[in-house]
Amino acid sequence: MTIAESAPPRRRFARLDRFSGKKYLIFGGTIVALSIFLAAFGAAISPYDPMEATGDISVPPPPIEDWPRLFYLAVAGELEQPPHWFGTDQSGLDVFSRVISAPRADMSIALGGALISLFLGTFLGLIAGFYRNWATELMMRVSDVLQAFPVFITAMILVALAGRETGNLVLALALVYTPIFIRLTRSEVMGQSARGYVQAAWAVGNNGFKIAVKHVLPNSLVPSLVQLSVTVGFAIILTAGLSFVGAGVRPPTPEWGIMISIGAQQLILGEWWPSIFPGLAITITVFGYAIVGHAIEQKFREA
Amino acid sequence: MSTEPILEAAGLTVRFAGTEDGETVAVDDFSLIIRPGEFVGIMGEPGCGKSTAAIALMGLVRPPGEISGGSVQFLGQDLLAMNDDEIAAIRGKDIGLIVQNPRTSLHPMLTVGNQISRVYRAHNKVSKKEAWQHAISMLRMVGMNDPERRVKAHAHELSSGMTQRVLIAMAMSSKPRLLIADEPTSGLDVTIQAQFLDQMWQTANETGSAVLLVTQDLGIVANYCDRVLIMAEGRIIEEAPVQQFFQAPEQDYSRRILTTQRQEGGDTSGEAHHGELSDAETIIRVAGLYKQFPIRGSDQKVHAVDDVSFDIRHGEAIGLVGESGSGKTTVGRCLVRLEEPTAGEIMFHDTALGAIKRSAFVPYRKAIQIVFQDPFDSMNPRWTVEKVLTEPLDLHTDMSPQEKRTRVAELLEMVGLDAALRNDQPRQLSAGQQQRVVIARAIATNPEFIVLDEPTSALSPETRVEIIQLLMELSRKLGFAYLFISHDLTTVKVICHRVIVMYLGQIVEVGDKDAVFAEPRHPYSKALLASHLFPDIADRRVDHTERITLEGEIPSPVSLPKGCYLYGRCPSQKDACADMAQELRAMPDGREIRCWRVTEGDFAGAED
Repeated sequence: MTIAESAPPRRRFARLDRFSGKKYLIFGGTIVALSIFLAAFGAAISPYDPMEATGDISVPPPPIEDWPRLFYLAVAGELEQPPHWFGTDQSGLDVFSRVISAPRADMSIALGGALISLFLGTFLGLIAGFYRNWATELMMRVSDVLQAFPVFITAMILVALAGRETGNLVLALALVYTPIFIRLTRSEVMGQSARGYVQAAWAVGNNGFKIAVKHVLPNSLVPSLVQLSVTVGFAIILTAGLSFVGAGVRPPTPEWGIMISIGAQQLILGEWWPSIFPGLAITITVFGYAIVGHAIEQKFREA
Repeated sequence: MSTEPILEAAGLTVRFAGTEDGETVAVDDFSLIIRPGEFVGIMGEPGCGKSTAAIALMGLVRPPGEISGGSVQFLGQDLLAMNDDEIAAIRGKDIGLIVQNPRTSLHPMLTVGNQISRVYRAHNKVSKKEAWQHAISMLRMVGMNDPERRVKAHAHELSSGMTQRVLIAMAMSSKPRLLIADEPTSGLDVTIQAQFLDQMWQTANETGSAVLLVTQDLGIVANYCDRVLIMAEGRIIEEAPVQQFFQAPEQDYSRRILTTQRQEGGDTSGEAHHGELSDAETIIRVAGLYKQFPIRGSDQKVHAVDDVSFDIRHGEAIGLVGESGSGKTTVGRCLVRLEEPTAGEIMFHDTALGAIKRSAFVPYRKAIQIVFQDPFDSMNPRWTVEKVLTEPLDLHTDMSPQEKRTRVAELLEMVGLDAALRNDQPRQLSAGQQQRVVIARAIATNPEFIVLDEPTSALSPETRVEIIQLLMELSRKLGFAYLFISHDLTTVKVICHRVIVMYLGQIVEVGDKDAVFAEPRHPYSKALLASHLFPDIADRRVDHTERITLEGEIPSPVSLPKGCYLYGRCPSQKDACADMAQELRAMPDGREIRCWRVTEGDFAGAED
């Protein structure tokens, strides 16, 4: 009939979405895995020492059509020294080596900060959602205040006060992202606590601690896990941003933000390669984490 | 009454293509003739295609379904051959539709008057003002009090009973020849359900419309319908006049739903040990229980439970009935200490439960258990059945893991489930199976007393009967007492020994089940019982010239009435009731009643 024919074929769209969801997950997962792999072994597998001048200054990358030939020669060992795939910067440092060594600084700070804020925020959020009293209310107001400041400014001030050590950077990031997880977990915990199975858990004879840990917490984690991957992405941008303005890790440590900062001055001379490659690296990494977050969300929503 | 049919469907077939398991025929060869003034019921289990068939009669199908065959003649025109404009002129004018869930069917941003007059103006050339007047008169016709004020209300300002009436007013506004009502009363209280169906019946009679009523409730069919169609798996398996259907159903399926829903022959277990009960030990004694909930940002309180006292003896089954908002669930939650009573005492054997700390109450949870209304919601969604059932054993026993496994298997067998289900998660089970698991969890520690908080109201009628039978069997075998909280009086009548009737937080009548059901004395109990639609064709509600019913709805428990709480709704009130607070008094025959006119003999049965 007419009604049926004019109706949108919803099921077909749903199937299309599921399919691409899986494809996304593979793509995003690869990027995430690569970022972690490079954080661990990037410096070890880089062709040049990322901290030493190893070539002439400001050498442009070889044209892309020569890459297969160069790659073949490099593998065959017929070159005196490996090619500078991404060129060199104004001090003669190999851009490629620095781009793949940078995740050690970027990823450890971003992942460390995000994970600490996840654990801290989930723990505090569970308490705040489960025990509603003046102390937890106070905690929520403090986290509101913390959230009211722009993340970047807060982190910058914290690092300026504490010093530009890696540990301090991780803690600054953890602090600025914790309120998000507190709020997320708390609202989820409050929602779950009203559910029948929590009532039933009380009636069966659990104590409050068991209910919080065994029943409420496992059912309140999904939003935080989704948020985690998004937060890692933001944390990467924040880490790089702090270095860009000189409030992050110290040069010459390989780090994307520093590289962009140094390379940016050369852009006007037409030397795009020292800044564009680390910029692309950040973009792809952040994108990868966002996709994984999206995929996690979809998977759990279906279940 | 003319016999020219209003609607004649022949061979109507609806298919759902493109679903994962291929094509489904939701409605197969559906034929039906409706004549003016008829009340036709369609019954069947959930998913049998009854709703799909009903809306397909208007040429509507939910995507991705399609009507793939048959014809629908409406007053001699073929509905299925019409184009969109032609059919739109008939829908809403000559065929009205009332769907389930009134609140989502109304536009949240428009006043109800606006919505009714829009529908009316779509089919009738009248001015806005006339349409508005018409909306008011329609609201008056469906029994809405103060229609001039209500017409300006938005959906959220009205109770569910009133939104349902707005929907009838809308559907009836153009005096349709046929009204299709798809489970219009699911989720409503019995009193509101009776008001609504009476109103629909009366309105249809006044306007000479025919009604097609989709329902799962045999009580509705028995009391209102002239003819009934039974559907199963998309096909009509039986069609008969309602008298004939109830006396001599043709199909096995029909016989089964009739016997199960009417519980014929199943009602002996309760009687078996009834005689011994009066000597049995009292295990729970509730005295002067109050529960008030503070309202945020206000000094006012919700008076949920207001001076409730009763006893429960060993092995006894007590029914606690009343409309939504009567406080019956709160009483149950106080008993298992999910709520802390504001005042009053609950004695369990010789222990005053109110005096012990919450943490010291935990050992008593072994003996006092609860089963909730929504079985799926009462289990941790990430746990397996095994884990759900092991939890009480972990908390209250020191069994070895091997003993626990054996006990879980034993429990599953007791509730009639296959032991292979132990590794399933709640969502993999049907609603009936879920409720069986929840019951198994409640009996895991051999409790003495279980609160059953509407354990069957989220289930389909057939599953409901199975669960009731299971509960009766278990209580007989294990000897636990229970408080059965429900608004389903048919069930209470079957499984309980005594009945407590609650209204607005107070007990209004207590008595033996048989006595209360045979002769309710309090006006509220009378009205509640009269509103309940028992599946009994000998005493049809529509055959009564005067129907006992409560007017309006349960008042707000925030500002309680000064005198009798029922004043204003009571069919037999006197002026003195308005400011005369009522007390629960014991009668010589053991009944307790909260109505001065009954206890002082003022009623004398003259007004029954």
